[in-house]
Amino acid sequence: MSEKKIHEDQKYIDGLLKNNAFIIQSIYDKHVPKVINYIKQNSGSADEAKDVVQDTLITIYNQASEKKLQLTCPFDAYFFLLCKRKWLNVLKKSSHKEVTINEEVLSKGDEAQELAFETSVFGEKQALFTEMFNKLGTACKDLLTATFKIKSMEEVAKSLGVSYAYARKKKSLCIGKLTELVQGSPKFNHISNEF
Amino acid sequence: MDDQNYILFEAYLSDELSKDEIIAFETRLKTESEFHQAFETYKELSSFLEHKFENEAASHAFQKNLNKISEAHFNKVEETVGSKGTTKTYTLMKYLVAACVVVLFGIFSLNQFSSPTYGDYADYNQISLTVRGANSKLLQTAENAFNTKDFAKAEEAFSRLIAEDETNSELKLYSAISNIELNNFETADGLLEDLRRGNSAFKHKATWYLALSKLKQDNETACFEILKTIPEDAEDYEKAQKLIKKLD
Repeated sequence: MSEKKIHEDQKYIDGLLKNNAFIIQSIYDKHVPKVINYIKQNSGSADEAKDVVQDTLITIYNQASEKKLQLTCPFDAYFFLLCKRKWLNVLKKSSHKEVTINEEVLSKGDEAQELAFETSVFGEKQALFTEMFNKLGTACKDLLTATFKIKSMEEVAKSLGVSYAYARKKKSLCIGKLTELVQGSPKFNHISNEF
Repeated sequence: MDDQNYILFEAYLSDELSKDEIIAFETRLKTESEFHQAFETYKELSSFLEHKFENEAASHAFQKNLNKISEAHFNKVEETVGSKGTTKTYTLMKYLVAACVVVLFGIFSLNQFSSPTYGDYADYNQISLTVRGANSKLLQTAENAFNTKDFAKAEEAFSRLIAEDETNSELKLYSAISNIELNNFETADGLLEDLRRGNSAFKHKATWYLALSKLKQDNETACFEILKTIPEDAEDYEKAQKLIKKLD
């Protein structure tokens, strides 16, 4: 990734990351109308388009902030592909049948396609991780929340009224438990198989 | 997976293993695929959790802002859809406006995105050399030839004039420009380099034309580097900055 040239549209990614209202507004002005049209033409409503767009932007934001997303293609193509993919997933879920996708012919090395795919996988993983985290027992949830919020394990132990060694061990085991939940989910295999 | 393995993952990630333990750990990663996969997921989850809690506030602020802009945008869209007068004139107008926008955008983007060429920037005006007294015939010839774009003739005159007056920077500049026009880049660049290094009033002009010469030679990198040396107080500074932006 690092040897590829970063596209000038990286400004959109950086703007999202900085919560720059001007940039967000310009994404809505310039890039969202195309998505709304597409969704409306493919059995969706404006409200549904609104959700797809918002979810997509949050995924991009998260990937930018956690994985330092670097845009190597125009934002427009990347964003449209992501929204389209998300919308097709929504359709698949609601209709329980295979949706025929009119994929434009894109070569395998297509930068936008690859990057959109990467972001989609990232987003699906995030959703799965969040879902599984909520399935953890209260003790694990509290401990992990405290661990990652407070950072110092000594303070975590103190605040929970347990010994330092116990808190440390518990942290490993709780993430271990979460690892098992994630790996055991059919969705996880689904996401992994897409690679 | 054994609980012990998770404790090991954590120790490895927090850099608490000894050298030997690290080697043993990394060997297992290579040889045991289940161990490897569990570790990858564990690592990813750690990063996910760390990020989730660290950036909670920033992430909330972003979503709030996003929500606001999204609401405003979709309300506006609904409104325009709702109030759409469907008279034929209105529809026709809409297409006309759209067509105008497309045409304007086309013109604009052609200007914006075509790569810059020498011709776009070489905007020297008519020169006048003969107004200052010593109106030699040769000078007159040079001036007329240059102004009528007969650069071969102009260059011939200029080189003879320079032979007579070796320190005349202005003549050298015009001679260089004539040579750029004639694609004699070596001669042109040599003259301009001299002027650029010197201290005459044409120092920065020469730098500007040297950059344009490189541009005409399709050496955009050299052009870019030279443009960067033009100082803010130079006459061509703004043009240089614009060209830099296009090249960048």
